Amino acid sequence: MNTTETAHQTRPYDLVKEFVIALVAVAALTVVLAAVFSSPDEKPITLASWAKAAPGDFIATSAAELAGTSTSAAYGAPYNHVPGAGQKLGPLPLQRWAGVRSPIDPAQDFVIGPLTAAPQDPALATALATYRAAAPDQRHKQAASYADALSKAPAGDSAKVAPGDYGTTPVLTARLLDLARGGGLDGTLLTEGGFYSSDYTRPLLFLADGTYLADQATAQHLTGNQWGMMNETGNYPGQAWLWLYTFWYQVPPYKTSTNADALIWATMAALTVLLAAIPFIPGLRSIPRWSGIYRLIWRDHYRRQR
Amino acid sequence: MDPAALPASPINLDHPGHYLHWGVIQLSVANLVVIAAMIVVFVLALLLPFPKGKGPS
Repeated sequence: MNTTETAHQTRPYDLVKEFVIALVAVAALTVVLAAVFSSPDEKPITLASWAKAAPGDFIATSAAELAGTSTSAAYGAPYNHVPGAGQKLGPLPLQRWAGVRSPIDPAQDFVIGPLTAAPQDPALATALATYRAAAPDQRHKQAASYADALSKAPAGDSAKVAPGDYGTTPVLTARLLDLARGGGLDGTLLTEGGFYSSDYTRPLLFLADGTYLADQATAQHLTGNQWGMMNETGNYPGQAWLWLYTFWYQVPPYKTSTNADALIWATMAALTVLLAAIPFIPGLRSIPRWSGIYRLIWRDHYRRQR
Repeated sequence: MDPAALPASPINLDHPGHYLHWGVIQLSVANLVVIAAMIVVFVLALLLPFPKGKGPS
């Protein structure tokens, strides 16, 4: 034993005992809190519930998918090739670099495909054949005209749309609404084909193209400009530890940037590197010494030194 | 198991949330309670004395 080892006091400490006590205490606390407060029990929003609750929004979204004007149609990677689309970090097109790994053609995948797979009566079969025979420009133009007319109809009611050249769009969207109301569209868009389905990409993208999902999220304070990342449904606490990540979305320049996701990711990455490098940064590394909190923790030791 | 057959929890938090606003800051009361509890635990960890070991010090 040298003089350095004997220069300060030591005391025994059982780390295993502390770990076991902490584990048992946290497990007991978890069981008690779960029994007292239970957990969030929000009913899932499905394509069927959307079609029943907001048929006007469902029809308008279906028309936008056919017109190629929906958010999904213009999203870019990883769903489709759209020039200029996607998050960038300065000149670096990060989102485009990731590539199209889950190709989605909204008109085909959300509307035409499910209708083709569903039982068809002569009217629907004729509409589908007419749609396929039409030139892409004409399909888009007719669907866009219908979407525009829907937005001007009283309460967005498809039954009150002004007459116009909408092609097969009214028939296709109305039949898709019927399919969705019966629950068939939810099953069709889960494309894995196995007994268990966990890939909700397609139904979720279609849902997110409408306004119904966004309205529900806004009502529950879950959107980006409501600090939604750290919130939970109802009166339950959420992910408070994400406060800094979601904070950036509330302030300029991130708040108004179309590349906010990429900018905030880069900001948080830089701050994480800064945090990891604190022991090497003069000034920052001295804060624990300046603050004196260590003297509070080890107050017995410093009291004995006096 | 039928969820309806499960006993209801004594405190039901599945009601519209309560939120506080200060400028750009928007915080749920539930999150505020959890943050306050974390601060209390942190302060207690600083102030509560260490358990005395049985061995020589």
